[in-house]
Amino acid sequence: MAERPEDLNLPNAVITRIIKEALPDGVNISKEARSAISRAASVFVLYATSCANNFAMKGKRKTLNASDVLSAMEEMEFQRFVTPLKEALEAYRREQKGKKEASEQKKKDKDKKTDAEEQDKSRDEDNDEDEERLEEEEQNEEEEVDN
Amino acid sequence: MAAAAAGSGTPREEEGPSGETAAPQPQAPTSAPGARLSRLPLARVKALVKADPDVTLAGQEAIFILARAAELFVETIAKDAYCCAQQGKRKTLQRRDLDNAIEAVDEFAFLEGTLD
Repeated sequence: MAERPEDLNLPNAVITRIIKEALPDGVNISKEARSAISRAASVFVLYATSCANNFAMKGKRKTLNASDVLSAMEEMEFQRFVTPLKEALEAYRREQKGKKEASEQKKKDKDKKTDAEEQDKSRDEDNDEDEERLEEEEQNEEEEVDN
Repeated sequence: MAAAAAGSGTPREEEGPSGETAAPQPQAPTSAPGARLSRLPLARVKALVKADPDVTLAGQEAIFILARAAELFVETIAKDAYCCAQQGKRKTLQRRDLDNAIEAVDEFAFLEGTLD
């Protein structure tokens, strides 16, 4: 239950990991510093949201979109974030598209499977010539036996 | 201070003092693309966004970009704070390094007074 927006912290473990990967090996971070960075990140998100919302309202839109956030970055003087964010956005869109296609494909495959199972039976008999030959030989033997 | 300025103005591709043993570029996707996209949970970021009374709705892409921007911000401020610690020849980042970075770097001005 958060009383203030600043209390909504991002997970400590993730923050710590990001910090450690940004710094050279062997560098540590004190608990106070880490928690301060975590709070700073929350404040950053709140500030960016507010800026982005201004752009959305200017555009007479009620929903924040990606370009609002990118505009907010420039407004906040974090222009250097814009390029990596655009790349991340493209990758994210590709992934979302891929997920959508994958789930659609799964559905198609599921329908196909029931048909394919029936077809497979006949396909096995057609493709395996060796088995056919064996079968024929067996049949011949059987005929001999019968006779 | 040149070090602090380097943290705020120059492009990210510039190498730090450590040459060959430099930390891997944060943007280069070396592992599975899905893993690199975002480490911060989108649900938490969304909760922060919703905390703003002026915000009506936020699209999924907006939440994602905010999460990624927050990651970049954490990396940036950590590196800038580290420059201060390095000068003190310390290997542990302290709270005061962060305060110094906030004072020194213009972009972090919005943080003043918010971390106490």
